[in-house]
Amino acid sequence: MRTSALHQQRARTGMLFSAPAFLLVAAFLGLPIYQAMYYSMTKWDGIVSKWIGPDTFIREFKSPIFWRVLENNALLLLAVPVAIIVPMGIAYMLNEKVVGWKFFRTIYFLPTAISWVVIGMVSLRFFAQQGLLNDLLKGFGLGFIHTDLLSSERGALVAVGITFIWSMVGTNSIIFLTGMATLDMSLNEAARMDGANSLRIFWNITLPQLKRFIQFSFIITVISAFTALFSLIFVMTGGGPGFGTTTLEFFVYQSAFSRGNFGMGAMLGVILFFIMAILGSAQLLLIRNKE
Amino acid sequence: MKLKNSFTFLLMSVLAVVMLYPFGFMINTSFKSKAQFLGEPGHSLISWRKIFSVMPVGQQLLNSTLVCAGAIAIILFVSSLAGFALAKLTFRFSPVVLLGIVGAMLIPLQSIIIPAYINASNWHLLSGYWAAILVYAALGTPFATFLMTSYFRGIPDELIEAAVVDGLSYANVFRRIALPLSVPALITIVVLQFIQIWDDLLVGLLFLQDQNYRTITVGLGALASGRTTDVTVLMAGSIISAIPAIVVYLIFQKQLVNGLTAGIGK
Repeated sequence: MRTSALHQQRARTGMLFSAPAFLLVAAFLGLPIYQAMYYSMTKWDGIVSKWIGPDTFIREFKSPIFWRVLENNALLLLAVPVAIIVPMGIAYMLNEKVVGWKFFRTIYFLPTAISWVVIGMVSLRFFAQQGLLNDLLKGFGLGFIHTDLLSSERGALVAVGITFIWSMVGTNSIIFLTGMATLDMSLNEAARMDGANSLRIFWNITLPQLKRFIQFSFIITVISAFTALFSLIFVMTGGGPGFGTTTLEFFVYQSAFSRGNFGMGAMLGVILFFIMAILGSAQLLLIRNKE
Repeated sequence: MKLKNSFTFLLMSVLAVVMLYPFGFMINTSFKSKAQFLGEPGHSLISWRKIFSVMPVGQQLLNSTLVCAGAIAIILFVSSLAGFALAKLTFRFSPVVLLGIVGAMLIPLQSIIIPAYINASNWHLLSGYWAAILVYAALGTPFATFLMTSYFRGIPDELIEAAVVDGLSYANVFRRIALPLSVPALITIVVLQFIQIWDDLLVGLLFLQDQNYRTITVGLGALASGRTTDVTVLMAGSIISAIPAIVVYLIFQKQLVNGLTAGIGK
C-alpha cells in the first residue's frame, strides 16, 4: 500500500519537474514549427494570412532563384570533407604530444570561442582586393595572381567556404583528439611488429576505431554548413554579389525581414527543416545498417 | 624519431600562425587610423576612442551579460529539474516527454524564427530583454536536458531510494543530493551556453528590437553590415566583444571540450 503511494508521488513529482522544460520548448520551438508549416501554405505579411495551399511550394520549386540558392548550399557541402580531413590531421599531430602540444591545442581550439560576426569581419578584409591574401601572394613572389574573390558570385562563395573551414578546425579537432584518446595503442604495436608502416596502421587500425567520431563530426559539420553561417554571410557578403552567397538559411531571413514576405520565409524555413530531417534520418539509417 | 618530432613541431607552428593570424590582424589594425590602415606608417589610438562614440560599448556589454545570465539561469533551472525527473522519476509518458524535448534539437533556428518572432510581438515581449532571453533559453534547453538526463542516470537508484526511505521528499532529494552531485555538468552547460549566446547574432538582431537592449555582438554586426564604419574601428569593437568569450574559453577549456563531445555515443 505504502509503496504504491510512494510510486504515485514519484510519478507526480516527475511530471511536475519535467513540465517547465517541456512547456518552454513547446512554446518557443514546438508551436512555431507547427505555425511555420501552416503559414507556409498561406500568403502572409506577418499580420493577415490567406490560405493558398501547397501552391506556394509548387511555385517555389519552379523558381530559378530557389534552385540557385540550393545550389549554393550544395556547393558549400564541398567544404565538408576538407573541414573534416584537415582537423583529423591536426588531431593526429597533437596526439603525438611533442613539446608544447597543449599550447598548440589551446590555439587551434580558439575559433570555437569567437563569434561568426568577428570572423566574418576579418575574413572580409583578408579576401578584399587590397587585402591580405593579395599581399601574401605578392610576398611569396606570386604577385601576378591577383585575386578578387568577393566581387564574383562563385568567388565569394569560395571565400565563405574557406572561412567556414577555418572556423570548423577547432570543433572538429576537439572531436578527433577526444577520439584518439580512446584508441587501443596495443593494436598499433602489434601491427608494427608485423611490419606495417605508419600509413597502413592509420588506414587499417586507427580510422576504423575513429568511425564514431568521424560520423559525429560529419553531422556537426553538415548541420553547421546548412544552419550556422547566417552571421558570417550577413557580415561578409550580405548574400551577394547577386545571389552568389545566399544560402537557404539566409534566404529565409531575406524573404521575411528584407522583403516582408513572411509566408515565403516560413515556407523556406519548412523546406530547410525537411532537408535537415532527411539528412538526419539518412544518417541514422546509415549507422544502423552498418551495425 | 627525433627528426619526425621536429617536423611535427614545425608544421604545428605554421598552423598556429594561420590560426592566430586573424587575431594579430585585429589587434594591429585596431591601433591604426584609417590613413594608417591604407598605408601610412605608424600607429594611433584614434580607433579605440572612436568605437566608444559610435557604439554604446558599456551598455551593450551589460546587455550581453544580462541576456546571457537570464537565459542560462532559465536553462539550468528547467534542464536540471527535467533531467532529474526523466532519469530518476520516470512516469508513464516520460520517454515521450524526453524525446519531445531532446528531439527539438533537430529544429533549425531559421525554421522557427519567423513564427516565433510574430508570437513574441503578439505577446508584447519585443520591447525588453525577455523575448531574446526566452528564445535563447528554449534553444539551449534540449541539449542541456539531454546532458543532465544522461548525467543523472549515472547516479545509483539505491542512493535516492535510501534517502526517500529516510523520509526525504523527492524535491529535497533533488536539492540536497542530486543537484550538488551534478555541478560539473552544470558548469559545462554554463560555459557552452555562454559562448553560444554571447556570440550569437540572428536571435538578438530580431528579438532585441530596442537599440538600447542590443548585445555587443548584435551592435557590432549591425555596425559592420552598415558598411560606413572604418575597419580599424570595427576591429577595436571586435576585440572588446571577443575578450569575454576568450577568457571564459581559456579558463574553462576542459568543460567546453566535454560539452562539445558529449553528443558522441559510448
